[in-house]
Amino acid sequence: MTHRIEVLGHAEDGRARALEHKLKAIGKTASVHVVDVYTSENKNAANPAFRASLVNPVTQRADTKLDNFDWALEIGFLPGVTDNIGHTAAELLELSGSANDNTVYSSRLYLLKGDLNKTDIENLATDLSNSLIQRISIKSKAEFDADGGMDIIAPKVTLGNQGAGCDEVDLNISDEELERIGKQGIANADGSRRGPLGMSLLYMKAVQNYFKKEGRNPTDIELETLAQTWSEHCKHTIFAAPIDDIKDGLYKHYIKRATKEIREKRQQEALSSRSSKSSLQKQGSGTTNDSIPDQVRDDIYWKDKDRVGDICVSVFSDNAGGIIFDENHLITDKVETHNSPSALDPFGGAITGIVGVNRDCIGFGQGAKPIINRYGFCLADPRSNPKYYRDQAKTNPILPPATIMKGVVEGVESGGNQSGIPTPQGFVNFDDRFVGKPLVFVGTIGLIPREINGKPGHVKKALPGDKIVVAGGRVGRDGIHGATFSSEALDEGSPATAVQIGDPITQKKMSDAIIKEIRDLGWYNAITDNGAGGLSSSVGEMAEQSGGFHLELEKVPLKYPGMAPWEIWISESQERMTMAVPPENTEKLIALFAKRGVEATIIGTYTDTGRAHITYDEQTIMDMAMDFLHDGNPETPLSTTFTRGSKAEPDIAEPQDHAQTLLQMMGRLNICSKEFISTQYDHNVQGSAVMGPLQGTGRVYAETSVTRPLFNSPKGVVLSQGLFPRYSDIDTGAMAAAGVDLAVRNAVAAGVDLEQLALLDNFCWCSSDEPERLGQLKRAVEAIYNVAVKYGTPFISGKDSMFNDFKGFDENGQSVKISAPPTLLASSIGVIPDVARAIDLAPKAIGDIVYLLGETKDECGAGEYYNMLGHTGQNVPETDAHQNLRLYKLYGRASRDNLIASAYALNHGGLGVALAKKAIAGQCGMDIDLSALNLRADKALYSESTGRILVTVAPQFKEKFEKCFSGYDHIHQIGHIAYGENVNINNTLQCKIKALEEVYKAPLKNY
Amino acid sequence: MTAKALILAGYGLNCEEETLHAFERSGLSGTIRHINDLIDNPKELQNIQILAVPGGFSYGDDTGSGNAFAQKMRLALWDHLQNFVARDTLTIGICNGCQILANLGLVPALGGQYGERTVAVTYNESARYQCRWIDLKINSASPWLSGVQTMHIPVAHGEGRFMMEEATLKRLQENKQIALQYIKKKECHPCESRDRGDTKQPDPVLQRDDIIWEHANGEFPYNPNGALADIAGITDPSGRVLAIMPHPERGMYTWQRDDYMSLKDKARREGSTLPEESDGMALFTNAARYFEIAKKKSA
Repeated sequence: MTHRIEVLGHAEDGRARALEHKLKAIGKTASVHVVDVYTSENKNAANPAFRASLVNPVTQRADTKLDNFDWALEIGFLPGVTDNIGHTAAELLELSGSANDNTVYSSRLYLLKGDLNKTDIENLATDLSNSLIQRISIKSKAEFDADGGMDIIAPKVTLGNQGAGCDEVDLNISDEELERIGKQGIANADGSRRGPLGMSLLYMKAVQNYFKKEGRNPTDIELETLAQTWSEHCKHTIFAAPIDDIKDGLYKHYIKRATKEIREKRQQEALSSRSSKSSLQKQGSGTTNDSIPDQVRDDIYWKDKDRVGDICVSVFSDNAGGIIFDENHLITDKVETHNSPSALDPFGGAITGIVGVNRDCIGFGQGAKPIINRYGFCLADPRSNPKYYRDQAKTNPILPPATIMKGVVEGVESGGNQSGIPTPQGFVNFDDRFVGKPLVFVGTIGLIPREINGKPGHVKKALPGDKIVVAGGRVGRDGIHGATFSSEALDEGSPATAVQIGDPITQKKMSDAIIKEIRDLGWYNAITDNGAGGLSSSVGEMAEQSGGFHLELEKVPLKYPGMAPWEIWISESQERMTMAVPPENTEKLIALFAKRGVEATIIGTYTDTGRAHITYDEQTIMDMAMDFLHDGNPETPLSTTFTRGSKAEPDIAEPQDHAQTLLQMMGRLNICSKEFISTQYDHNVQGSAVMGPLQGTGRVYAETSVTRPLFNSPKGVVLSQGLFPRYSDIDTGAMAAAGVDLAVRNAVAAGVDLEQLALLDNFCWCSSDEPERLGQLKRAVEAIYNVAVKYGTPFISGKDSMFNDFKGFDENGQSVKISAPPTLLASSIGVIPDVARAIDLAPKAIGDIVYLLGETKDECGAGEYYNMLGHTGQNVPETDAHQNLRLYKLYGRASRDNLIASAYALNHGGLGVALAKKAIAGQCGMDIDLSALNLRADKALYSESTGRILVTVAPQFKEKFEKCFSGYDHIHQIGHIAYGENVNINNTLQCKIKALEEVYKAPLKNY
Repeated sequence: MTAKALILAGYGLNCEEETLHAFERSGLSGTIRHINDLIDNPKELQNIQILAVPGGFSYGDDTGSGNAFAQKMRLALWDHLQNFVARDTLTIGICNGCQILANLGLVPALGGQYGERTVAVTYNESARYQCRWIDLKINSASPWLSGVQTMHIPVAHGEGRFMMEEATLKRLQENKQIALQYIKKKECHPCESRDRGDTKQPDPVLQRDDIIWEHANGEFPYNPNGALADIAGITDPSGRVLAIMPHPERGMYTWQRDDYMSLKDKARREGSTLPEESDGMALFTNAARYFEIAKKKSA
């Protein structure tokens, strides 16, 4: 018998209230009750102790008659979807004494009364649920009474292919058929296809040739494994391929080379400083700072042994990049994208994204502790609702932008908050071309001792004979084809199994056991996470270290029976880590995991046979050469073209009412406050937050955060980023350079020295099979090479996502393709010696002097101002890294001497927006004169020229501050912080701070 | 011998390290203990003086925040817990720990009825997680709070709303078991730390120390969750068991404060030095002092 337990919440339930507000917003008055429903087939679910354990007697009632409503709406999960509430209820069932089969399914029932018809309820259901993962059931009160309540549904997984084995795939076929397998997947017996392999004909032919040599056909699992391992997602084939005359590919030629050159230069400097250090120290001793010439002061500073030299320790080789934090610790950073899954199930996509990148951190070296999360969303206007469909029949619409925004925001909230990792750092960028495929960036910073058990913390190696152990969640059908799927454009055939929901608590238990206990016991030789490609990737990668593996696939713990071997092997079920454990440690390791409520299982052995070998019930189902698996994918040379975008500047009149224009600018989506995100993200857990996401008493949404990860050290981690997708409409090189510059400049403005700063690159491109798009890519990569090398800020980690295109149909059934603008997210991570040196954006005192540092040029092209007026223009901001570097070094002097009260690196919307944000943050007036800029007022206010910082300085430090910039042309004293309630700009505008604050905070306030 | 604190961990609790640091900084010795290890060796409770259930997300808040973890503790440890609070010991539950103590019935334990659930800590009125700094007024004889009048520390929770029957509230008030309440600055918006347009005698630094407080009266964001009677924390009748939603361990150092940037700038101008510790530390130093005094008494 199936038991159903209904727990009725009280009228004041916050969840019910929120729904009532939501209905009110669309003009419906209704009262709502929330009923938490638990369903189980276990007879012990009738046990009163278990039932009582689900109820808070103060605010809830179980088994009470449900009455006084017009409509009942129930939302539950589809079979196989991760049900975290169900899992907890199952643990309660076990605690109440039930020995086995403790599966419990959760669902939620809303009882609604009021001004609502069936269509309203259906609309509400669509809004509250996602048909890819959830089921809905609606009953009127009459139906409810007639049926004796809601239907009892236990969404149990039953797989048709129970006990399915392993199939041989015949590759003695035509090229046409080969191509079809590559595109649509292996054919089932009934002719249906298993889902895209994402393999080109060239790849398929390489596979065909290999197995010809082996003298047999591949099995399905072998073919699926090759598809995973060779996917764009895992191999980054576009960045690796020869492109035009660049034979070593974009990644090696530009990204990796930039880091290599910077590191070599630093190492060189460190060597030469050691030889000249003694003489410099002599010059420095016994004198006060002020009496030393600036150049010598800088030399002393730069050549101090703690600061000079190569900060990189582990770059491009592990799950994350690692740099030096202090003499005992490294910090790691990794930023991932989860775009495709988030388009289909925003909540699931974002939560699996964030907990997934947490595992990249846990899987760095011997295991780093996650200490900070980052996020970034590129979305369409949530106030719009364009109609696009994945199919021509218009049955499969894309999700509305507001639904996507709500879902991705909640996904990161849920994953980050539940994992106890602060999320102080992020951004949101809006452009309507993100409508079909949003960009969802998630990142995690980790902390790891430089030495663990006498070994470098960042080094790991699986040895032959080590047991393959998986720990954490079980394997289900979720996430199958995730790696190959994210390497394709989204269209009608996109599989729903690619969508899954994270289980942060299962992961938290596993993470704590590893990072807080097992790592320091030294019981494993290597560790990595299971992400895209599941076991096929994690075991495959680690086996490269030992030289082969043997895996017994039937030993992998499953969520439910009936999965085919190939599904088990490539499933992307979350919350799992794979380890290489010496045989003598396995027993105690598994026992300790068990003690922490974590399942760990031996599933095979690392070998040095050079073979990737898998058995299932003692039968060999995979046996391939490791070399072929990892390096057998043929190179695909690429060629490119490049055309600069828009070619003319618009002819626009200067605004009549500058105040009105500024107000309009402040309310633009890329400029307005995203406070609603910051307050729902726990940004001070771990007690480490120093400079948070909302700055000043006016709570301005900030670009840069400072975290102090250790209580016993004043050192801080500074994080920021830069991203300007729209600049690609004119020039991707300018787009990418501006992104890197802003990531660097934000950190510099907050007090980081360039020498202590590193970068991460995330390319989100579109249509990367077109020469023009590849030409844009090449230009962007070249640009960031130049800027990064000039600044001396190395890339330490990166990722790319190359097909951010939506292919579908519009309302008229016409085929459309919407490509996300080519986007580089540059993220920065830096270290400051003392968090007391951190500088935020809020002005601190009346009478302080306002300086604009850096040159303002006529560069509104593709910026917020032109976009507001409906133009693109031609003058996109160009980044002069040489000039900027000079400023950043001079700025460093002033910030090291604590002469700066507040600083803001100008970005979207330029100086006008920066001034307004400062006034809002400080809740103070400003008197400003821009005549020194020699530009028309609107250009001066809204040009987005890079390399500029707006600072305020206390009058008492004026002289010292200016001395830091002696000989520098682009320091402009433009006004001061004033009493009163206005921002005044001479001969241009007067605007009330309250009015600015209102428009700045209004647009996203109610999300 | 210094008093020993045991800080629980496991199943999604996540503030154990910073909470341990707070105790150690106050001169107490402390240990983080996984709940399963304590269940295996519950006698450890006999050898400690302080039990802390830290913040976190035990069981992901599923089936109600703190519910499942409290069920686990109740089934495995109830007698030991009862004995522990009956001794002259201190117990604190912070955030998720507060929810756990309420679900265990260790607070408010009206009339000494430990184990009875009479208070719920449930979904915020906004139905949304709230991470923000708030101000608290203290009105309690609890040893945890002696000498403290107000505190500026953060909250971070999705379910922090104290709810109870009218009669329960009345008894809590009568017994002075409502230890902490949310307050707001009188006629002063949180975004305005000074009066605008006051051009006569303005403080040149955008700070204001002469603050008049009043009850938040349920008003968001001062009361961040809609808690009945602005309740942020309650005690048992003895005051030795404290359940508090805000996080003192996230506001124990000046550098953790949301106004730190402004405070340090002011200090720099004045040539003064900021105090290292901030409001939240008081709870932990109070705990240390409590056992020192007890030791002296017995000596």
